[in-house]
Amino acid sequence: MKLTKLGVAITMAAGLLGSTAMAEVIEAKPGQAVNMVLLPKFLGVAVFDQADRGAQEAAKELGNTGTYQYEGPTPENSAAGQIEMLTTATTQKQGVVMISNNAGDQIAPTAEAAQKAGTKVVTWDSPIPSGKGESLFVAQVDFGSIGTVMADMVYDEAGGKGEFAVLSASPDAANQNAWIDAMKKVLASDAKYKDLKLDDVVYGNDQSEESYNRALGLVDKYPNLKVIMAPTTVGIVAAAKAMQDEKLCDKVKVSGLGLPAEMVSYTMNGCAPEFALWSFVDLGYLTYYTSYMLATGSLKGEIGEEFKAGRMGTMKIDADPGRPGAKRVLMGPFTVYNKDNVEAAAK
Amino acid sequence: MQRLKSWEGILLALFLMTFAGNVVLAPEFLTVQNQVNLFQLSIEKIIVALVMTLIILNAEIDLSVASVMGLSACAFGYMVTQGWPAGGAVVICLGVGLVAGLINAVLIARAGIPSLVVTLAMLIGFRGFARVLVKDQSMGNFPDWFTHLGQDPLVGPLPLALILFVVLLVGLGVLLHRTGFGRQIVVIGTNAEVARFSGLNVARVKTTLFVMSGFVSALAGLLYAARLGSVRGDAASGFELDIITMVLMGGVSIFGGKGTMPGVFLSILIILNLRNGMALTNITGHIQTGVIGILLIASVLIPNLASDLRARRAKAV
Repeated sequence: MKLTKLGVAITMAAGLLGSTAMAEVIEAKPGQAVNMVLLPKFLGVAVFDQADRGAQEAAKELGNTGTYQYEGPTPENSAAGQIEMLTTATTQKQGVVMISNNAGDQIAPTAEAAQKAGTKVVTWDSPIPSGKGESLFVAQVDFGSIGTVMADMVYDEAGGKGEFAVLSASPDAANQNAWIDAMKKVLASDAKYKDLKLDDVVYGNDQSEESYNRALGLVDKYPNLKVIMAPTTVGIVAAAKAMQDEKLCDKVKVSGLGLPAEMVSYTMNGCAPEFALWSFVDLGYLTYYTSYMLATGSLKGEIGEEFKAGRMGTMKIDADPGRPGAKRVLMGPFTVYNKDNVEAAAK
Repeated sequence: MQRLKSWEGILLALFLMTFAGNVVLAPEFLTVQNQVNLFQLSIEKIIVALVMTLIILNAEIDLSVASVMGLSACAFGYMVTQGWPAGGAVVICLGVGLVAGLINAVLIARAGIPSLVVTLAMLIGFRGFARVLVKDQSMGNFPDWFTHLGQDPLVGPLPLALILFVVLLVGLGVLLHRTGFGRQIVVIGTNAEVARFSGLNVARVKTTLFVMSGFVSALAGLLYAARLGSVRGDAASGFELDIITMVLMGGVSIFGGKGTMPGVFLSILIILNLRNGMALTNITGHIQTGVIGILLIASVLIPNLASDLRARRAKAV
């Protein structure tokens, strides 16, 4: 009897401890040495350079005495290049590789091999679709809600009805694919959007010239096109420039995800009246912070863990609703830019 | 012949320098896993480079190899996505490679159209067909046995593709340097007219080479699909230039007739070791491309300058 009581007490105490442990906000232990690599889809894209700035800020704050590298493949070699660089990083026994995945599930075997060899793989911006080989995904926004924003921006610019098309990045870009799917779901589920018609989804591979040509191709192919939705910072600029060059801005509007500094002139002249984005500096900062805590053992990378990520405040690891079995840290929110706020943001 | 010997000497010295540099600068370089990765990351290209060596020695060129690789990979992706058994799809893809090679061969060896023109057209044609098959998608979900063959070691630490490379290297090396057929390749490459007048069946040799090239390219395309676990329309696109670079740097004359398999093997080793070493010491992307570009320019210039100099000296005497 006594034993049972004691047992119950211990169980209760353990439960209590357990629950306080769950609720406790984990803090980083600064000053440790972790070698870290930030691997963007490829080099030469402004938003990825911003993420690098954010990561460096976090590195300084955490006083990481290990090395930090920002390196990526060349655009035409993105998928194979990322696989090669992750392989090399594993050989070098890097602590963490933070990757914006542009290789779809092609990178999963390499990521699994990295984890097995002790190199953690944290994704940001664009995850590994199957979640295989990935410790965590640092998500810029909720992938479902970005679908709603995209649908709403098309709705606004088309005046509630008409035809539109999507100009995306590459067919293997997990983030863009997820957003387009989310947008399609939103379009199908709400009667508000019943008069919008999605004509086509094309890919400019995040190359300016290719995206420019794809945008013009869309206009030729679909004479009634009213909006080009480009959920990529390279594609949206290229599409807006194409419409401006061809003097089509009165007829075809451009929207999507863009960088204020690159979009300001097109927003002010009406070619791209509305677009959205989040802070890539913050995303790089949060990714670095999360990865550092994971590599130093402060975080186990389990669902429910809460941690303090410097100036970003308290963050939480939860299940990724879009990818069964995968885990994410959700940053959010995003900003919608138009002629009222774009000039201030572009500075 | 003297020129070739000295060229391979230079290559050997370059390789030893690169290798030694890697050993000193990158502590991880000599690990077994890294040595396997070094080959594995470019394995499809170096396999095709071996057959390309024979073709260029024969004074021809095959620009369609990467498109055949892409076509084979995409055809495989398409068939598996349609629910066909993967084993059957592998056989069909290899057949596609044979047919692609045969089309090239007929147009070049029978119709007499220059291989540069024929294979340039097929570079576009086969790629177009590959893109029609997979559209703008990425096709994956291959059976486990297939991706295992592409990704995991088969014998000891060696994956299937690396074993195939070694077998082909030795096999084609012996074919080229130790058999009558190999001598025919070189004789035709030196002067096709003379070869024809001395009774060699030029058309048959060329047909064999292009069919071989189509088949091996299709095989390499399948290996690529297995290694990456999924395919898209631009699979292997642009590889032909890297492949031709390896062959030319190996001392094979673009005009045919001159060059050896060991030379190409050394050139492959240099390029792979340079890339691996630079990656391990964190020199990446554009700089890597630049260094290899400079190396290629030098490899074309040095032999030419050397022969110029010899010619001038001979005149002076």
